Amino acid sequence: MASLPLQADDFFATKIEPLLKTRCYECHSHASSKMKGGLALDSKSGWETGGDTGPAVMPGKPEESLLMKMVRWTDDDHQMPPKEQLPTEEIALLEQWIKLGAEDPRIAPVKASGDWWSLRQLNKPVVPAGSAHPVDAFILAGLQTAGLAPNSPADQRTLIRRVYYDLQGLPPTPEAVDAFVKNDDPRAYENLVDQLLASPRYGERWARHWLDTIHFADTHGFEHDDLRPNAWRYRDYVINSLNRDTPWDRFIREQIAADVFFPDETHLTAALGYLGAGTYDSSAAATAPTNFEYLDRDDLVTQTMASFVSTTANCARCHAHKFDPITQEDYFALQAVFAGIGKGDISYQADPAAALQFKKMKELQNAIERQDASVLLSPENDALVLAAEQAPAVAWERMFPEILVANDGSTLERKPDLTVLASGTLPDKETYLITATTKLADVTALRLDLLTDASLPEHGPGRAGNGNLHLSEFQVQVFRPVATKGEPAPIRRAVADFDQTGYDVTKAIDGDLKSSWAIHPAVGVPHHGLFEFTAPLHLEPDTKLVITLRQLQGGSHLIGKFGISATSAPPDKLIALPVEAGKISLIPRAERTLEQRMLLASAVLRQKAANEIARLPAPAQVWAAGNAATNERGLVAIKEPRTIRLLKRGDLAKPADEIGPGALSVITALKSRFELPNPKNETSRRAALASWLADPANPLTWRSIVNRVWHYHFGKGLCDTPSDFGRMGGVPSHPELIDWLAVWFRDEAHGSLKALHKLIVTSAAYRQSSEGHEKALAADPDNRLLWRMNRSRLDADSIRDSIFAISGKLDLTMGGPSIANFTSKPGPQTTPILNYENFDWNSPGASRRSIYRLVWRAIADPFMDALDFPDMGLLSPVRGFSASALQSLALFNNEYLLKYCENFAARLDQQAKTPEAKIQTAFQLTYQRPASAEEVADFTTLAAQQGMPSVCRVLFNSNEFLFLD
Amino acid sequence: MPSINPISRRDFLWHTGGGITGVALSQMLARDAMASTPTPRPEFNGGLHHPAKVKRVIQLFMNGGVSQMDTFDYKPELERLNGQMIGPKEKPEGQTGPAGAVMKSPFEFKQYGQSGRWVSSVFPHQAKWVDEMAFLMAMTTKTSVHGPGSYMMNTGFLLPGFPCMGSWISYGLGSLTDNLPTFVVLPDVRGLPYNQKGNFSSGFLPSRHQGTIINAGSPQPVPDLFADPRHTFASKEGDQAAMSLLQKMNRQHAAMHPEDTRLEARIASYELAAKMQLSAPEAFDLTRETAATRTAYGMDAPITEDFGRRCLLARRLIERGSRVVQVWSGPQGAVNNWDNHGNIPNELPPIATSVDLPIAGLLGDLKSRGLLDDTLVIFTTEFGRTPFAQGSVGRDHNGNSFVTWMVGAGIKAGTAYGRSDDLGFKAAEGITYCYDLHATILHLMGIDHQKLTFRTAGVDRRLTDVHGNVVKDILS
Repeated sequence: MASLPLQADDFFATKIEPLLKTRCYECHSHASSKMKGGLALDSKSGWETGGDTGPAVMPGKPEESLLMKMVRWTDDDHQMPPKEQLPTEEIALLEQWIKLGAEDPRIAPVKASGDWWSLRQLNKPVVPAGSAHPVDAFILAGLQTAGLAPNSPADQRTLIRRVYYDLQGLPPTPEAVDAFVKNDDPRAYENLVDQLLASPRYGERWARHWLDTIHFADTHGFEHDDLRPNAWRYRDYVINSLNRDTPWDRFIREQIAADVFFPDETHLTAALGYLGAGTYDSSAAATAPTNFEYLDRDDLVTQTMASFVSTTANCARCHAHKFDPITQEDYFALQAVFAGIGKGDISYQADPAAALQFKKMKELQNAIERQDASVLLSPENDALVLAAEQAPAVAWERMFPEILVANDGSTLERKPDLTVLASGTLPDKETYLITATTKLADVTALRLDLLTDASLPEHGPGRAGNGNLHLSEFQVQVFRPVATKGEPAPIRRAVADFDQTGYDVTKAIDGDLKSSWAIHPAVGVPHHGLFEFTAPLHLEPDTKLVITLRQLQGGSHLIGKFGISATSAPPDKLIALPVEAGKISLIPRAERTLEQRMLLASAVLRQKAANEIARLPAPAQVWAAGNAATNERGLVAIKEPRTIRLLKRGDLAKPADEIGPGALSVITALKSRFELPNPKNETSRRAALASWLADPANPLTWRSIVNRVWHYHFGKGLCDTPSDFGRMGGVPSHPELIDWLAVWFRDEAHGSLKALHKLIVTSAAYRQSSEGHEKALAADPDNRLLWRMNRSRLDADSIRDSIFAISGKLDLTMGGPSIANFTSKPGPQTTPILNYENFDWNSPGASRRSIYRLVWRAIADPFMDALDFPDMGLLSPVRGFSASALQSLALFNNEYLLKYCENFAARLDQQAKTPEAKIQTAFQLTYQRPASAEEVADFTTLAAQQGMPSVCRVLFNSNEFLFLD
Repeated sequence: MPSINPISRRDFLWHTGGGITGVALSQMLARDAMASTPTPRPEFNGGLHHPAKVKRVIQLFMNGGVSQMDTFDYKPELERLNGQMIGPKEKPEGQTGPAGAVMKSPFEFKQYGQSGRWVSSVFPHQAKWVDEMAFLMAMTTKTSVHGPGSYMMNTGFLLPGFPCMGSWISYGLGSLTDNLPTFVVLPDVRGLPYNQKGNFSSGFLPSRHQGTIINAGSPQPVPDLFADPRHTFASKEGDQAAMSLLQKMNRQHAAMHPEDTRLEARIASYELAAKMQLSAPEAFDLTRETAATRTAYGMDAPITEDFGRRCLLARRLIERGSRVVQVWSGPQGAVNNWDNHGNIPNELPPIATSVDLPIAGLLGDLKSRGLLDDTLVIFTTEFGRTPFAQGSVGRDHNGNSFVTWMVGAGIKAGTAYGRSDDLGFKAAEGITYCYDLHATILHLMGIDHQKLTFRTAGVDRRLTDVHGNVVKDILS
C-alpha cells in the first residue's frame, strides 16, 4: 500500500475518531471497560485483531470490512450501533476512510512499553554524598530535596523493641532490654542484630511473610475445604531455608524445580510445596476438569509472577494487559510452563543419604534384572556374595504350635517334630490361626517352612491338585501375658527361596488380600519364607504369638504341611537362598561356571537390595504439585503436558494458536520463549522458568525481593505495592535506592537475605524515632521520604506470640505437623465442623508460635481474623489494618485472651510479691518500660478490685502494646 | 449533625470531648483507614452516585442449586417430551453424571395473582406474593460446580479471594448504626454452605467489611460479645473497671501521637463495642415478638422453625440498622439442601417447605411495617438443575439457567425478565449473569457498579468485574 498523504492523519483525527468516540466507544473501548463481542475500536490493533467474528476493518476494502456490513445494517445479525442506524453521511465517511487505507495514527490507549522503572535494565546508581551508609545517603538526598531533615535516633528501649519484633516477631525480655540499654559498646546494636538474625526465631518470623505472599494454608479452601496433612513440610522448608540463609536465586530454583536442579538433595522436594500452596477445588477437578485445570494453572501463574517478579501477569488472561506490556501470548506461555503438573502429595526421602542408598539399590536391582555381569560380578559385589556364603548359619528355633485353628474346616494336626499337617475337608479358601510360643526373648524374624508330605498331591507342599499353594497374607499378633488384646507386629521385609512369577513373597505382606505368594512349578520340594519384623519383638515369658496365614486365592490353594521358626539373629544376616543357589554355594568357587556364578550372585544380591531398601526410613510426603501426585483421586500422573492454546477473551470455548512455554517478552535481556530439547518433559519447563526468574539479568526479580524486604522492615515498601510493579502499582519513592539495593543484593550480598536485613536495620533511617512533627507532617504526611520511622500495629501473629511469651507460656518447639487451635467433628461432607470456642488452651503445643498454627483456609480463626490475618484464598503481600467493634470485642473477651490474662497473672504472682512490684514487672514485660507513679496507682487499684488478670487484660488491649514505635 | 461531612473525625472528637452523639462512629472509622473510601451523600439519600431507593438488603440464598423447572419456571414442553433421550451426549463440565431422559416436573403448576406467574405446588406461600415480585427468569452462570458457582453468585468471580456483595456494600455505604454489625450472615444451623466462610469474605477489602456470622441458635450469637462468666475478673463490673482504665491509657498514649488517627480509631472501636453490647442482646431476643408474628414466620412448626427464626432475626437486624443480612437455606452436603441429585419428588418438597412459609412471613412483616419502602429482598441460588433426569428422578447441576426474584424498594412489582428455552435447560432471552444482578442491586442502593472500585494487585477491582448491566426492565 502506498504511503498516504499527511492529511490522512488529520482526516482521521477530525472526522473518524470523533465519530467512533460518540457512536462506538460506549460499547467498544477500554475507557468504558466494555469490549462487546471482544471488539475494541479505541486503537488500531483493536480493529485489526477484531472481535469474536474477526477483524473489523480490511484497509482499502470497505466491501470486505465487517464494520461496513454492521453500520449498513446489512441484515438482522449485522446491525450496529444496535439502537439507531448511523446517518448516511457518517457511513460514507467510514467507507471513505477504509477505502483510503484506514490510516489510524492513534497510539494504543496505554503505551505499554518496556520503558518503565521496574522493567529497565538494572544498573547500580552512584551513591549520593551525605552518609557513609548507602541507604541513608539515598534517604537523606530525598529529604534534602524536600527541605526536610530526618528524626533523631529512637531511644534504646524503642529500638530494641522495634528490632526484636521486626526480626523475631517477639518482644525482648526485660533482661535483654536492660542489658542493651546499659551497654555502651558502639557495636552493641550491630551485635544485637547479628544475634537476632542467627536465632531460629528469625526464620519463624519471616516465613510468615512469605507464606502470606504466596497464599499458603493447610487446607484446600474450596467447596470441600479438606485438610492437607502434609502441607507443613513446605512451611518447615521455608523456615529452615530462611534460617540457613539460602541465597535468593537458589530459593527460587528450589521452589519451582528442586527436582530438576538438586535431584540428589531429595529433602528439597519439600520446596515444591510452593507449587501447591494455593486453593484446590476437588469437586471441580472431578466434574469439570477442563475448567478446573485452566483456573488452577491461572492461580499458579498469578502466584508465581506476583511473588517473584511483582507482576500481575494474570491481567493478560482475557486480553493484552491494559496497563503493562504483557501480551496474552506471554500469559498463556506461562500457563504452558505449568501444563504438566497437578496438585497432590508427593513422596520423597527426607534424608539425602538414605535417598542415595535407595538409588544405589535400585540400580543394583536393575542390574540383576538385565543380568549385567559387570555389576553382579564386580569385586565389590563378589565380596558381598562371598561374605554371605561364609556367614555362619542363622540359628532358627522351631516354635511350639500350641493352638491350631482352621476357620473354614480343614483339620490341622501337630506332629511330634512341631510341624503341622493339614488334612480332611478341602475348602476353597482358608485361614489358619496358629498360637505359638518360643523360648527366645528377642525375635527379629519368623521363618515359615513349607514342607512336603506323602499325603499331599505331588507331595505338596500345597493341597491344590498341582501341589501349589497361595499365601495371601502373613500376619502376626503378640499377646502379652494377661493382655486381653493382641498387638499387631508389623513386618517390613519378606524373602523366600522361591517365588512363582508374579506371586513373590512380598505379596504376602502388602496388606492386599487379592495378591499372594505361590511356588508353582517348584512343587514336590520344601520351600521357606523369612518374615522380618519392623522392630524386633521383646517377649517376656508366657507371651504368645498368633500367626495368621490367610489363603484366599481360591481353588483350594492351601498350605499342606508347614513349620514356624523364630530367630534372634541380626536381620541383615537373614537371607533365603533358592535351592539351586544353595547347591552352587557347595561347589568350590574356582569350579563354578559363569552361569552358576551369575545365579548365585543374583540370588544373594537380590535379597541384599531388598534388605537394604526395607531398612530405609519411610518416605515423607509434601502437598505440592508435580507430574505425578496423589490426591483424593489417587495417584494422578500427567504423562505429557496439556496442550495450551491462546484463548480469545480467556474463554475456553475460543481456542486459538498453541503456545509453548515461556515468560514475559518485555524482558528483552532474556529469552521469553523457552527453547527446550524435549518440550514434552514438563520438568524442563519449570526449570526454564526458574532460570528465567533467577537470572541476574531479570530486573524484576531483584527489585522485587529488596522492596519486599524493605516493606516488612518499614511497614511500607519503597514501592508500596510489593507484588505489583506495573503501572497500576505504586510509584516508588526512591527508585535509585531500589536499584542500588537490588544490584548490591545480587552482586555483593550474593542473594543473602540476612545481609540485606542487616544493611537495612543498621541504617539511621531505620533507627530514627517515629515521632511526628508539624513541618514534616505538612510536607510529607505519608512519610514517603522517611523523615521518621513508621509506627505500625503488630500483626496478628506477633500479637498472639507476644501474649504467649509475656504470659510465660511460649512453647518454642520447632517444626512438625500444624497445631490445631480448635476442636472438630465430622461435617456433612469431607469438610469438618470446627469450633474455635471450646479449645483447651492447656493442651500440648497450644502455645507454640503462630507460624505452626493450622490455618484452615476458609474456616478462619475468628480471633486472628479480627486482627487482620488475611484471607488465604488470596495472595497477601501486605497485611491490612482495621479497627472495628468486633476486633475490640475479640481482644477484650475472647476465651484465648482471657485465659492468657490468667496465665500472665499467675506468672506475675510467681515473680513478684507486692502489687506494686507485680505492676512494674507487668509493664516491663509488656511495654519494656517502667510504670509511672500514676500508672502504678491506677493499676494497683484495678488489681485490688478485679484481680491481677484484669490488669493483664488492660495491658493486652492497650495501644502501647499493640503498636510499635 | 446530619451525616458525615468533611470535618475530620479527630477534630470532631476534640470538639465533642470524645463523646459521640448523633453520628455513626463506625462511619468515621471507615473514613479514616483509607482516604479513597467512598462517601455516601445525603442528597442521594445515602447513595454514592445517584439517589438510593434501597437502604438495606435481605438476601435469601438457597444452597445447592434450586431446580427452576420444579419451582418458578413452568415448562409444559417437558410433559410432552417426558422420557425422551434428547440431552447432551457427552457429560457437560460440572455435571456429576451423564444426562438422562427428559423428566417432567412431578409437581403441579398453577397461575397466581394479577401477573399470572406460574408457581409449582412446592411454594404455595410465596405464590401469593408473585404480584410483588420481579423475576429474572434467565439467570445463567459460568460453572456448574458448587464451589465456583457459590463464589460467583456471591463475589462475581469463580476463584476464592474476592469480596462478596455484602462486603462491597459495607465498603461503599458503611453502616446505618453503631449498634450492630453492618453485614450479617445467618447460616443454616445444620452447617456452613459450600466454600465455608469463603462466601462471606471481604477478600482484599479491609477485614471489617466481612460478614459477621451469627449463630442464631447460640446463646451468644455475636462472637465474643461478652466474656465467659467463668472468668470472674471479666464480670460486668470488671469489664467497666478495665475498660475505663484501658481508655484512659489509650487516650494518654494517643495524646502523645496526635497525628496518628489509627490510635483514635481503636479508642472509638471500644466505644462501639460497648454500644453493641448494650444493643445486640435486645436485637437478638425473639421473645420480644408477638406469638402471631412468630407463627407467621413458621416458628411453631419444626420444619420451618429454623429458617423462620433466621428470617425474623433478619428483619429485626435490618430494622435496627444492619445493612445487609444474608440468610442461608441448607448446609453443604448431600442432604438437607437444594442439591437434589437423587430424587426430586422426595428431596425438594421438604427443603422447599422449610423456607416457603418463612419467606411469605418475612415479606408480609416487612410490608406491614413499611420496611419494604427502603428494603430489598432477594431470593437466589448458585445455579439451576437439568431438565434431564439424573438416575431416574433426580436432577443434575445446570449453570445454564436458573431463577432469581426480588421484592421491595425500586422494584417493578409483578414483572418477569428473560426466558429460558422450552426445556428450561438454557437461558434463551434476556439473559442475566450475577454481574447484572449485582449491578442492579448496587444501582438501587445509589451505587454505579462501575465506579465502586478498590485497587489491588494491579487492577481497580469491581464487584461486577468488567461486566454488568442494570436490569432496568424490572425497576419501577
